[in-house]
Amino acid sequence: MGKCCDKKKRQIDAPDPCNPPGPQYVSESSAEKEPQNGPLAWFGKMIQNCYEYATEAKAQGKHIVGIMCEYTPRELIMAADAVPVCLCGGSAEMIPTAEEHLPANLCPLIKSTYGYHLQKANPFLEMAELIVAETTCDGKKKMYELMDQTRPMYVLELPQKPADSDAMAHWVSELRKFKTRLENQFGIEITDEKIRQAIRIMNRERALRRELAELMKSDKPPLTGRQLLKFKSSISGISADFEQYAEAIKLLKSQKPHCRRDSQVRVLMTGVPIVHGTERVLDIIESHGGLVVCMDNCTGLKPILEDVDESAQDPVFALAEKYFRLPCSVMTKNDRRLELLREMVAEYRPQCIIELIWQACITYDVESYLVRQLAEKELGIPYLRIETDYSPSDSVRIALRVEALFETIRERTHEQGTPAVLLRKTEAAGGTQRRCSGG
Amino acid sequence: MICAGIDAGSRAIKIVLMDTDSRQVIAKGLIDQGVEQDKLASELFEALLKHSDINKKDVAKIVATGYGRNAVSIADTTITEITCQAVGVRQLVPKAMTVIDIGGQDSKLVQLDRTGKVRDFAMNDRCAAGTGRFLEVVAERLGIKLESLGDIAAKSKRPAVISSMCVVFAETEIIGLLTSGTPREDIIAGVQAAIAERVVTMAGRNLELPIIFTGGVAMISGMDLALKCALQKSVTVSPAPQMTGALGAAILASSQLNRRRP
Ligand code: SF4
Ligand code: SF4
Repeated sequence: MGKCCDKKKRQIDAPDPCNPPGPQYVSESSAEKEPQNGPLAWFGKMIQNCYEYATEAKAQGKHIVGIMCEYTPRELIMAADAVPVCLCGGSAEMIPTAEEHLPANLCPLIKSTYGYHLQKANPFLEMAELIVAETTCDGKKKMYELMDQTRPMYVLELPQKPADSDAMAHWVSELRKFKTRLENQFGIEITDEKIRQAIRIMNRERALRRELAELMKSDKPPLTGRQLLKFKSSISGISADFEQYAEAIKLLKSQKPHCRRDSQVRVLMTGVPIVHGTERVLDIIESHGGLVVCMDNCTGLKPILEDVDESAQDPVFALAEKYFRLPCSVMTKNDRRLELLREMVAEYRPQCIIELIWQACITYDVESYLVRQLAEKELGIPYLRIETDYSPSDSVRIALRVEALFETIRERTHEQGTPAVLLRKTEAAGGTQRRCSGG
Repeated sequence: MICAGIDAGSRAIKIVLMDTDSRQVIAKGLIDQGVEQDKLASELFEALLKHSDINKKDVAKIVATGYGRNAVSIADTTITEITCQAVGVRQLVPKAMTVIDIGGQDSKLVQLDRTGKVRDFAMNDRCAAGTGRFLEVVAERLGIKLESLGDIAAKSKRPAVISSMCVVFAETEIIGLLTSGTPREDIIAGVQAAIAERVVTMAGRNLELPIIFTGGVAMISGMDLALKCALQKSVTVSPAPQMTGALGAAILASSQLNRRRP
């Protein structure tokens, strides 16, 4: 191992055998220093930035529209001179309130979002003049009905058999109805040109975020998975964000390869979205010797991989096409998710796949069987499924499983050198194992 | 050179001292877990050294494992109990392919490959229903000692059905059974079967033989039988089931040391 990567002394936790204390799953030694300024610091205050932006926009007479899923075409909202804001809840504190109306055995993401609604604690939700959602999973769909009692909701019907010949047509008509609704509510005409303008902005954003994510393909990525996750915003299309993305890409590309990376296990995370505030499992992975090089979920690569045709004759149709291709587990069949995973494993060369499932998320949970099969049988890499919610009570257990997984991977790598699958992919990509130059 | 393995479990701390070259166990010891587990571990360690007349300086490496592994300050490094159990059991039963480890708060299943490497593992999530904690609850409820659970259960003709998914509810269920006059042997046998069922759910049924049963709960008679019935496969209790984790840790400490030496 390179001299530059000296292992730090192990942290010693407060002993209490029976009651895991506020679990010490993130050890100081593994946290990478966060810069005080620059792009990472900018996105460190993302919520504040978004709040200022939304307040300002509202003052200028723009409308705020809440969204709750990646199937919502933000472009249509932007073309209506409105600002789309993601409302997904990431706070455990909102859950008890939500459980006054909702069953306890429901996905924490849904409960938290709903808790914010009841407590009126999400300023973006309070600013929103309209909330858009889709018929995705049952929990969300039914929760929207409760929200609908006191808030202006608009639910698009998402066809669930993407391979059916008439599915697209239905989705297109749903988007057209939605466009009309926006026009009526905000008293504005949404021209094709306005949509194209929005598409260009969103394409630019996706391209920037993609470029950042692709830095993780390197043998020694310049970021941790946790840091990369910071590079996104609850509000899309903020030009100040774009400048920071571009700046980050420039800075990171000019950096020397990161030394600590030699000893870290490359992880691909899949499964449910990791919305702001719910990064616990990711933190556990990265503080126990892992490096999340790729996330395929809705807060990761899935929604930004493809762009919308900017020159399409019918921009609404172009939007429908792009968004309908999103491989979410609410679809049947959801083959594209597995295809995507195959591609990502080839490109990002993870040594294992860790799937995160929010408790009671039936669709991802059932589908996890297929992902395990893909990983273990087809790709020949270990797979670990972690089901949890927003409370940290199982952090110690999760850490144990993650650690044990990494031990087995290291043991294998130690015996056989670089795992066969990695070697093959690295060679195919023309990559070479760079060595740490020291210092 | 001497190496030590310390298994800081949820109910007991176990330590094994090993000669690094011959891989012989020099001493082993066990103490009940308590609030000051770091102190307890150090004291047990010192006592073992004294007892076997070993100088602390001769202990070249200490590996801690188990639930409280991060709290053992005398350890040089930690390794998870999943890896340690696999190595420890494999040492005692060289052909072992599956390890079922049931401890005070956890139950784990480790599947090995032919060379003894961990191939796959599973463990219980939040709930303690498939663990030793469940047995403690019944023993407490019925006012009998943990050690005698097996003998009593052996008398059962019709094990009671315990269906609760959670220890807290299961306790209520047990109270209900008691008031309805269900014999205590049937209740105990029912709880043992419920624990075994939980493990099977976690493990799936296609486990490779031989299946070795380890951890503190393996010492409670009747549990291996319950597992056998639930799995429909033969299950062997590991030699020294409480010590396998510490043994594995000591072996891994030795190999890490040898690996580093030229
Ligand atoms: S995971 Fe599915 S339901 Fe959730 S945001 Fe993504 S597309 Fe929407
Ligand atoms: S994580 Fe699963 S259950 Fe929760 S909102 Fe998304 S699809 Fe629905």
